[in-house]
Amino acid sequence: MSSHSVENVDPSNVRLWDYDDHGHDFIGTRSIGFWLYMMSDAMIFAGLFAAHGVYVHNFAGGFTAKEVIHPLNALWPTLFILTSVLIYGFGMVALKKGSRSGVINALLLSFILGVGFLFMEWREFSELAAMGAVPQVSGFLSDFWVIVLTHAAHVFFGLLWMAVMIVQIARNGFSQNNVYRLLNLKIFWHFQAVIWVCVFTFVYLMGGI
Amino acid sequence: MSHGHHNPIEHPEVQLASMGGYLIAFVVGLGAMLIALWMVVGHTLSPVSLTTVISLIALVAVIVQLYFLFKLDLSSTQIWHTVSFVMTAPLFVMSVGLTIWMFHTLMERTMLPGVCTF
Repeated sequence: MSSHSVENVDPSNVRLWDYDDHGHDFIGTRSIGFWLYMMSDAMIFAGLFAAHGVYVHNFAGGFTAKEVIHPLNALWPTLFILTSVLIYGFGMVALKKGSRSGVINALLLSFILGVGFLFMEWREFSELAAMGAVPQVSGFLSDFWVIVLTHAAHVFFGLLWMAVMIVQIARNGFSQNNVYRLLNLKIFWHFQAVIWVCVFTFVYLMGGI
Repeated sequence: MSHGHHNPIEHPEVQLASMGGYLIAFVVGLGAMLIALWMVVGHTLSPVSLTTVISLIALVAVIVQLYFLFKLDLSSTQIWHTVSFVMTAPLFVMSVGLTIWMFHTLMERTMLPGVCTF
């Protein structure tokens, strides 16, 4: 704008609104919407952590926390989930560079590590079931199963989504739809790492104290 | 309903991806969990101070992850993500803290000392 137009405003020619259609931010609206879903999903975990704080000593004469929770064993799922999240992050860097093979390879590796995470959890909980430490034994065990397996259910659906995305990227490349889905899955997957840090600390580590 | 005149890869949220940031989140997250695990397994402190210290370690790890994985900052791309998080965090802390506090004091006020076996 020149100073000329600022000094001499012609009322009949002044432009009071924008006539052009700028469209909306297709990717940005979907990303904020999914982020808000993630915030409400976090409240599910708030409820579970609150229940954990209440039931943490309710052993009902059955298994105590020390008999059921082994912090050292929980290191393996921690390694799997954090590495999987890191590799998905590398996939997002590959997306930034427009590398289709980079994204697919990162998603595949991230998927395999996620399966490793679920395998470790499956082993842990089948051992618990074999020794009779099932949810109906006590408030503490109900809480322990539900809080850890709710996180595992998130990981399971994240893996399902990842498998779908691998196919979609291979078939359709970086279309607008695929890019926003990758961004939303990134939000979902990275959020599982944050939740796992809380589960590991407040359930596994504190159960071992 | 496509308004996409641009290459979706050029979207600012795609361009937020950063290898260094994700590596920092990974190293800090894993390092924090390893330190906390070592402290618990080695019984380095009394149970009460151990609980406090590993809670603080987890808090640091979560803050670092939130910043470097989600880039929650005040930039025009991310400001509303940050605002919605800042609105949600107190609800999260209050639901957990107030519930535990309520049940803890309820137990103290209703259970006879020495009789209570949960």
